[in-house]
Amino acid sequence: MTRAEFIRILEDLIELNPGTLSGSTRLADIQNWDSLAVIGFIAAADEHLAASVPAQRIYQCETIDQLLDLLKDKLQ
Amino acid sequence: MMDAGIERRPLANVRIAGIACAVPGPSVPVLGPDAGAELQKVTSSTGVSSRHVALPDVCTSDLCQAAAERLCVELSWDMSTIDLLVFVSQTPDAVLPSTACILHGKLGLSAGCAAFDVNLGCSGYVYGLQLVASLINSGQARRALLLVGDTISKVTSPVDRSVALLFGDAGSATCVEFTDQPTAMTFVLGTDGSGAPHLQIPAGGFRQPRSNETAAVVSAEGGNARSAENLFMNGPEIFNFTLARVPALIAAVIAQAKWVVADVDAFVFHQANKFMLDHIVKRMKLPKEAVLMELAEVGNTSSASIPLAIVTGLRERITREPMRLVLAGFGVGFSWAGLAWSSDRPVVLPLIQT
Repeated sequence: MTRAEFIRILEDLIELNPGTLSGSTRLADIQNWDSLAVIGFIAAADEHLAASVPAQRIYQCETIDQLLDLLKDKLQ
Repeated sequence: MMDAGIERRPLANVRIAGIACAVPGPSVPVLGPDAGAELQKVTSSTGVSSRHVALPDVCTSDLCQAAAERLCVELSWDMSTIDLLVFVSQTPDAVLPSTACILHGKLGLSAGCAAFDVNLGCSGYVYGLQLVASLINSGQARRALLLVGDTISKVTSPVDRSVALLFGDAGSATCVEFTDQPTAMTFVLGTDGSGAPHLQIPAGGFRQPRSNETAAVVSAEGGNARSAENLFMNGPEIFNFTLARVPALIAAVIAQAKWVVADVDAFVFHQANKFMLDHIVKRMKLPKEAVLMELAEVGNTSSASIPLAIVTGLRERITREPMRLVLAGFGVGFSWAGLAWSSDRPVVLPLIQT
């Protein structure tokens, strides 16, 4: 899976139109980025990439790029 | 990776004779009619629309007592024949004595009956079964009353939406006895104490006694607020724990029972929340129709959720035909326990409302 494809999954997860998010989007600027979205991110990483991500590291991320870097071994 | 620990010998000659559950009053909606979209998003994810809430003067033990009295009458168990009472809960009557001793008195059990408490939550029902089954199997008891439940509504902050919309109150009673028949109960148990801070009530014990400070409600993450005497739940960490442990737990239980997934008539998991159970089903490719989802009207009832799901979701079938069940409890501790159980038409009472 590519980074762009995973961004599309994230958009779906937080109920945004395709193309709304980019790598540089700041998480603080996304209205729906809350604890449910964090759980959704963990679930999506598990389901689509068989990846496990500690919640603490997700909370340290400020941008979409940083989030995707947590999965960089699994994303093309 | 899952460390499955030792392979525990299946427990023979133990029969679950009956199960009953009691809830306080009617089921109350978690949201008011004017709740906004954000709160509705929470409830559609948790799958909880209403739950039972205990009044201040109703304790877990009262719910368990009501369930136990009705169940023993139904089974024609004379109270004097019960030689073991185990109470599993994180919401006891008092710091001391053991709530099991209080219940022993109220139920009028005999002086030869052993009684004690076990402090466990989401994994507690299966742990309790393992404990009483072990004691029966080893000749330490012949008839056991396992009373398991919680009133978590008493310890949640109403302004903490990570817990206030999720938990409900319930108590259960399970009658377990010795049998000559060759039965087998296969258990898998585990613990990861590094997860303790992620689901806890920090104050009110002896490490951090109650004080004015611990009673103060302070703001927390995501606009929530709670005191140190309230339940704290780190949802994302618990979800991670579940992914890391529960599929492996379920697989280990099935393997140790020498079953395959298709042999299992029903999976009864701790009813944590709908999102989590859906994800486990998807991840393990379990047959959805075999997995109980029974939290819409009762919520997450902590240690009582497994017997409560059997009462509300399986009563007709389990009382009619022998079944193969996989039970799995997981959560606070972190602690987990699974059981492969071949049921033989136990008595299961309709849900009791006190």
